[in-house]
Amino acid sequence: MASALTGVSLSTPATFAAATARGDRPQVAPARVTLRSMVMGRGTVACRAGGPSTPPGISDKMSESIKEAQEACSEDSASGECAAAWDEVEELSAAASHARDKLKESDPLENYCKENPETDECRTYDS
Amino acid sequence: MAICSAHTTTSLRSPCTTISNTGLRQNQVILFTTRSSRRGSTRHGARTFQVSCTAEKPIIIGLAADSGCGKSTFMRRLTSVFGGAAEPPKGGNPDSNTLISDTTTVICLDDYHSLDRTGRKEKGVTALDPKANDFDLMYEQVKAIKEGKAIEKPIYNHVTGLLDPAELIQPPKIFVIEGLHPMYDQRVRDLLDFSIYLDISNEVKFAWKIQRDMAERGHSLESIKASIEARKPDFDAYIDPQKQYADAVIEVLPTLLIPDDNEGKVLRVKLIMKEGVKYFNPVYLFDEGSSISWIPCGRKLTCSYPGIKFSYGPDTYFGQEVSVLEMDGQFDRLDELIYVESHLSNLSTKFYGEVTQQMLKHSDFPGSNNGTGLFQTIVGLKIRDLYEQIIAERAGVPAEAAKV
Repeated sequence: MASALTGVSLSTPATFAAATARGDRPQVAPARVTLRSMVMGRGTVACRAGGPSTPPGISDKMSESIKEAQEACSEDSASGECAAAWDEVEELSAAASHARDKLKESDPLENYCKENPETDECRTYDS
Repeated sequence: MAICSAHTTTSLRSPCTTISNTGLRQNQVILFTTRSSRRGSTRHGARTFQVSCTAEKPIIIGLAADSGCGKSTFMRRLTSVFGGAAEPPKGGNPDSNTLISDTTTVICLDDYHSLDRTGRKEKGVTALDPKANDFDLMYEQVKAIKEGKAIEKPIYNHVTGLLDPAELIQPPKIFVIEGLHPMYDQRVRDLLDFSIYLDISNEVKFAWKIQRDMAERGHSLESIKASIEARKPDFDAYIDPQKQYADAVIEVLPTLLIPDDNEGKVLRVKLIMKEGVKYFNPVYLFDEGSSISWIPCGRKLTCSYPGIKFSYGPDTYFGQEVSVLEMDGQFDRLDELIYVESHLSNLSTKFYGEVTQQMLKHSDFPGSNNGTGLFQTIVGLKIRDLYEQIIAERAGVPAEAAKV
């Protein structure tokens, strides 16, 4: 497997790059990391982590809303403004998750694996 | 010439809305549908008749749960039991929250937000607060659907936080309203033929949201916790009380099989079923009405750690008589699931192994190896049964006795 991977460029979702680039992030790994590899034609191997990452539009809005919620709650954490701000975060987090699911449905590897979960390409590894 | 065969059979897939222009009988409503301009081309010449029966008024199902608590997964299981894939309306707003299949239309009650995201922010009101929702419009439109009339329903756009132009919703056979408040307003509640509440314990909710959000940029354990806590007062005031009205409640709790487990991976799930609900016969284990504790793992069936435990029995829930079926632990192999299915009664399956088949078909959905998937599938079968009984009764044919 090691030799098969030589010279292959691996694409990493943005969330991973962002996670390692941010120093202020707590040292907690994403809850579940799954890795899948797929042999695509002769000698080409694609490998990526987890499912698709959130579209940047929603992702940006969400991290913005988290900052706003933290600010809105700094004065009074029991205020309606604070609750409304965190409610917006929840709404966007749910929208982000739905958007990822939608992308997953249009992913050829995911669809292949739905039909052929037992194949090598579709094995998942929990970290 | 069985165009209106839904009158006389109990099949969910009877072609009552067959597109046809022959063989019309009395007692049918004929709609001449020209393609509406919003869908694009109008086809001349090829005349399309949509035939629907007057008896074919939709049955209305309500599903209540907080955001991020598995409503979408439940809906996918439910529409799968009814047959056919559920998809967003073709050619409509790509951000529509509606799902349509041959038999079922699922709408999201967020579409009845009266305040958009900016409005809620300005007023300091969450989406959980009834003040942010238009219950008058919700009632009017659900009532119209129940009477067999089409509606122009608003669309709440979850990405922009704005209310988009309305979409046309035709009355289906089964109309599902899912969201935060399907049982909040009494007028809406009274329109429901069946209602379900997904009750996720705080521990599990936290674990699920970590799973969902932790990899998101900007989120951290603190932000996930803060969001749950800030929304909790409104959740407790306006969402949680609805569970007392539900005909079935699926309660999701941490396992008791692993001492002090806080990972939220292994779950204990209860299916609380109200007694005396018309067309709804609760599932039971071994002996209806008795109290049973059952560990299926033993000589006949080997289970891996931490095993599987079932219990069943009568109970009261908000002062009402209920039957409760509980499953703790998870399935690791197919034979465990089929073994459990063979010991449950009143499942409303059409053939032996249908529950297992449904669970396998969607093994990629969250919860397919535990009680959440099992009970969601069972509730789906129960709703199909309920629909078929109602249709059969409307047609004056006695409902078939419970199968399997």
